[in-house]
Amino acid sequence: MRLLVYILSKLVGAFVTMLGVSALVFFSLRFIPGGYADILLGPFVTPATREVIERRYGLDQPLFAQFVRWLVSLLHKDFGTSMVTQQPVIDEFMRRAPVTLELASLAMALALAIGLPLGVAAGAAPRGRRRDGLARVVGALGASVPDFVLGTTLILIFSVWSLWLRVGGYSPFTQDPILNLRTMLLPAITLAVFGGALILRTTRDAVLRVMTEGYITAAVARGGRPTEIVLRHVLRNASIPVVTVVTTYFGFLMGGAVVVEVLFSIPGVGLYVYNGLQNRDYAIVEAGVLLAAFVFVGVNMLADVLYAVIDPRIGAGVSR
Amino acid sequence: MGAALTAHAAEKTLVWGKPGEITSFDVHVAGTVASWEMYEMVYETLLTADENLKVQPGLAVSWEQTSPTSYVFKLRPGAKFSNGRPVMAADVAGSLQRIKNPETASYWSAQLGTIARIETPDDQTVKVELETPHPAFLPALAHISAAILPIQELKAGGFDPAKEMLGSGPFMVKGHKQDESWSLVRNPHYWGQNLPVADELEALIIPDDSARIAALRDGRIDFTTFENPDIAKMLGSATNIAVLPQKTTNYFRIDVNALSPKSAFNDKRVRQAMNLALDRDAINNLVFAGSTSVDYPVPAAFGKSACKSTPTYALSRDQRLEQAKALLKEAGNEHPRATLLATSADPVFAMIAQVAQQSLADAGFEVQIQQPPMAEYLKKVFTDGDFDLAISWLAGYTDPSMVIAWWNPKFALWNQVFQQDFPGLDNVLDQIKTMQDGPDRDAKLDEACKLIDDGANLLALVSKVDYVAYRSDRVKLKLPARSGSSNTFEYVAEFEPLH
Repeated sequence: MRLLVYILSKLVGAFVTMLGVSALVFFSLRFIPGGYADILLGPFVTPATREVIERRYGLDQPLFAQFVRWLVSLLHKDFGTSMVTQQPVIDEFMRRAPVTLELASLAMALALAIGLPLGVAAGAAPRGRRRDGLARVVGALGASVPDFVLGTTLILIFSVWSLWLRVGGYSPFTQDPILNLRTMLLPAITLAVFGGALILRTTRDAVLRVMTEGYITAAVARGGRPTEIVLRHVLRNASIPVVTVVTTYFGFLMGGAVVVEVLFSIPGVGLYVYNGLQNRDYAIVEAGVLLAAFVFVGVNMLADVLYAVIDPRIGAGVSR
Repeated sequence: MGAALTAHAAEKTLVWGKPGEITSFDVHVAGTVASWEMYEMVYETLLTADENLKVQPGLAVSWEQTSPTSYVFKLRPGAKFSNGRPVMAADVAGSLQRIKNPETASYWSAQLGTIARIETPDDQTVKVELETPHPAFLPALAHISAAILPIQELKAGGFDPAKEMLGSGPFMVKGHKQDESWSLVRNPHYWGQNLPVADELEALIIPDDSARIAALRDGRIDFTTFENPDIAKMLGSATNIAVLPQKTTNYFRIDVNALSPKSAFNDKRVRQAMNLALDRDAINNLVFAGSTSVDYPVPAAFGKSACKSTPTYALSRDQRLEQAKALLKEAGNEHPRATLLATSADPVFAMIAQVAQQSLADAGFEVQIQQPPMAEYLKKVFTDGDFDLAISWLAGYTDPSMVIAWWNPKFALWNQVFQQDFPGLDNVLDQIKTMQDGPDRDAKLDEACKLIDDGANLLALVSKVDYVAYRSDRVKLKLPARSGSSNTFEYVAEFEPLH
């Protein structure tokens, strides 16, 4: 029951967040210089042709009326129509979501595979030891290299020497799993470097904090083996900040790792939203940001529930 | 199963690495090359233009000019839309009327002149009567923006040009994944004998130059285009990749804001000084490694002598700099400050901007470069007129009278927010529009050039070359040596897959 109330309170918060996001994205988008008429007609746009194009897509209506119309459409599960293709944008998001999910999952798996063991090893190591120092350097380096720098470097290297991996040319997993892996590995690595560094640093700090707790000292005093202490006591107690970082990062990735998808021409939701923004195809960007917010909020809610499962005191605290 | 595999193996497929996606399905509306390139695979025009920039048959197999304002076109027997219906005179009439309808918002409408009436005495004949002589009418019909649509289906509601493509060109659309790929198959009703050679044409949208290079190397694409003049160097020593520069009538240009009171270029003397100080040779040598050439308001590709005797082109660099400094001194502004917009959409713009910045500094200009995104740049320059200088390029089309007409802001409309109107120049340009090609028109072109140079409002820089890169072991290409309608792949129907 307490957990249910906790979840309900989170749902209300999520709804308010979504409403705020929808207003923010709608109005901020309209204030960005340039519109679809500029993109469509290029340098040949005239006041008369602009008026025709804006009337055609309802962009001549007052801004608030457009916003209300959009909200009403959303209530009818209509996320709008692309001005470029005249097709419902939700269909395109549905088609692209598995690509982004795959990229996000692969990047997450790589980041966890790197960050988690290194973070635990660094945190559990006595201070000043070489593996702790190495982990700190790796963490700082990974977190400070922007994805566009790393991605561009990888593209430059692998476009000259293929080395089995491919730059761009996405191939669905269901068609050719090996080719899919060859295509997705570089963008996943680009994303995983930052994610791995983030997880490494968070895990290290969390483990360090737990290692100073009295019950760890007691476990050591009882003669417990280091591996057993780490697995039974340290990991569970250090997991909450790690879960926060992992879920937040996964939510970010699911919202569309825009830069990486653009760099590697991965046909996911990030590339779709980016191109929508470039073309001022408002429905795509509005739906994209809203869906990303939805995923982000959903993943964070999942994290909140996980906290309550990991540490029942959290759920109990809310319902009191 | 075995038969299906055999059939699939026998299919000849071309794979095109397309740098950009369309901005609309409507061939009569979109004003972007990325859109035109795709339309040219599917649609046809009444006339075409060859590499000598001469008008050639298209859907019209012949035509006759019966008076300075009257044209009669005979349609090609056997030309059919990909749904199997013959192309008829009503489709041509309806398409031209659609372009001229202000509700279509076609930017190409002005280039067709003023159409008084269109008659279709029979299914194969179209008569067009213009209100005033307009020799550029025929070249304007050769641009893809004047494509012939299946008007019968459009009127019946079975075809929506804003959502789909249905043309009489060599290919028809089988599938489209936005920003990802196009799948085209041969139009079984195409009139060309044994054409197209390829059964299928896959277009992969790959905006990034490096990604297209990688795709060429590993054979994912057979051919593509680049704007970057360094492409041959970037492709390195790959022996199976060839790069062909294709000349065009297009040229890079600088738009100068003569109308904004905030801009130093509000003063004609400062504009003239800027025009004189620009080192077009340096742009050619430093940005394009000498692979292109200095260009003029009347594009060099037309082989005219117009514009070459104006001070901007006739004087030496030292003489021009001396004059530029004198003009700035006279204007009381020896170190004018300006911002030069070079949209990030094309990396070549930034390269040109850097050389322009350096050459202008020699005369005393202090220029800052900004790289706004495309939509922001378009709004600042063509809608708000909120800029000093902006780099872009201008399509030269297939007749000098078409491109030079843009110097009349009342005709162009798109440059009204920054282009000063000179009634004397407008008058000359109006005369050019009605004149047939010949010595008289050449003299008028030269007269217009002098006035254009004096106004220094929209400046031609260097010719724009398109670079076609292809896998010589995978495809046999046929390319026009020169293109006047941004129709790089005009002979796509004859491209032969070798794999």
